[in-house]
Amino acid sequence: MSEFEKLRVVIKYEFLKHMRRRRLYVILGIALLAEALVLILIPVLRDGYPDNVMVMAAMLTVGPSLAAIGAIFFAGDAIAGEFEGKTGYMLFTNPVSRTILVIGKYLACLIAVALLIVFTYIIIAISLLVIYQEVPIEILTSFGLCLLYASAVLSLTFFFSAISKGSMGATVMTLLFVWVLSSIIESALAFTGNPYWFLISAGGDSITLPYGSITELMSGLGMGDFDGMLTNFEPLTIGMAAWGMVIYLVVGFLLSIWISKRRQLA
Amino acid sequence: MREPIVIENLTKYYNKFLALDKLSLRVAEKENVGLLGPNGAGKSTTLKILCGLLRASSGTAYIDGINVAGKPEEALARIGAIVETPEFYSFLTPEETLGYLGRLRGMREDELRRRIKEVIELVRLEEWGTVKIEKFSRGMKQRLALAQALLHEPPVLILDEPALGLDPRGVVEFREIIEGVGREKTVFFASHQLVEVAQICNQVAIIDHGRLLAYDSIAALEKKYQSLEQAYLKLTGGYVE
Repeated sequence: MSEFEKLRVVIKYEFLKHMRRRRLYVILGIALLAEALVLILIPVLRDGYPDNVMVMAAMLTVGPSLAAIGAIFFAGDAIAGEFEGKTGYMLFTNPVSRTILVIGKYLACLIAVALLIVFTYIIIAISLLVIYQEVPIEILTSFGLCLLYASAVLSLTFFFSAISKGSMGATVMTLLFVWVLSSIIESALAFTGNPYWFLISAGGDSITLPYGSITELMSGLGMGDFDGMLTNFEPLTIGMAAWGMVIYLVVGFLLSIWISKRRQLA
Repeated sequence: MREPIVIENLTKYYNKFLALDKLSLRVAEKENVGLLGPNGAGKSTTLKILCGLLRASSGTAYIDGINVAGKPEEALARIGAIVETPEFYSFLTPEETLGYLGRLRGMREDELRRRIKEVIELVRLEEWGTVKIEKFSRGMKQRLALAQALLHEPPVLILDEPALGLDPRGVVEFREIIEGVGREKTVFFASHQLVEVAQICNQVAIIDHGRLLAYDSIAALEKKYQSLEQAYLKLTGGYVE
């Protein structure tokens, strides 16, 4: 039996796991709720939707961004769970390498998250079509960046899952790293005029970049031009953010495989 | 004479704790060997190294002449194992679990379907084959563990306390199943239960503090020490659990 066939088997059953778990539907519900809130609250709070379709498209990326972050909840137990839950005693005594198992688990998680992201982008496209009778082509770039961000977050979660004793620890550590630590450092670096493209949170920010810069989007919401406030602000480019995410994707993934192969089930 | 299981100078440290101390033993083909010893003697550690779950600090374990540490997939293809009390994915049913593991082992679809039916009947889980494992008791999971160990008809069985968690009827059924399949297979079987070992195995290895104290047929040990229980007590200097 080839390694590819084993990989296909692992992906199939891991994907089945995600489809049968409640968390997939909870994350989808939260992402859709976020989009619904944007669609309801913006016209209520500012007397109608923004004139510029790009601004509304950017606002609605909150849904897919949350779906991408949801990857953490899929992947937190991917490796740690086999050790913590003792399912590894059953799985690891089969003639399949840990490398194949980790790759299969990763791809199954990615497929599940990608489905969520696709669904949230479909909702965005339909909403924009109804409100503005147009869907900007930039939505495709935003979608690509969102997928890349989800892949990078997944890799990071796999890394934390590989080094953690428990699934909860891996999930919490990844959330703290992505949402708290990285965001704080990003704010400090950005507003002191330093580059911050290498932070994972910058990858999350990049999802709205195809629709315009942060100053353009804020102006589009009638919040002024921020010329005085953002003099030192280091702008993020799509290219730099993508490079940052690729680094997390590759390094996190390779490290998670290496650590998983070395980890023993005592 | 073929020796499907060969352990040579196996040493294992957990930090500074010495769990196995140059343990060596060989199990001949179609022999059923019981691995006896008190808690912490090194039984589970030995089996986990044989199953590729742990790396030895030094020494080598072979399955059918294949170094487990060097070529784990090749070695694992030849064994069926129950290590500790394995857990299963709660979102799958026994049939799905066996389907997953059988496909990972490269079993053909028609053969897999036949074997799933056979092993589920063998461990008496017929009524539970399509029920999610989240509803299973410990004993039922143990039955499923035996089913997955036998699914691919491996020539070597490595079993660590396989009857743990079973009710008295389950224990008897388990012993009968292992006794039956053991006639055609090499069985390496760790247990605290001397009665169980005496029923299933024809040879026993007694270890303590990671060292091999005796490795002989049950008949020879009974002749030398009056009974297997006396042999165990005298050799381990403790009590029978």
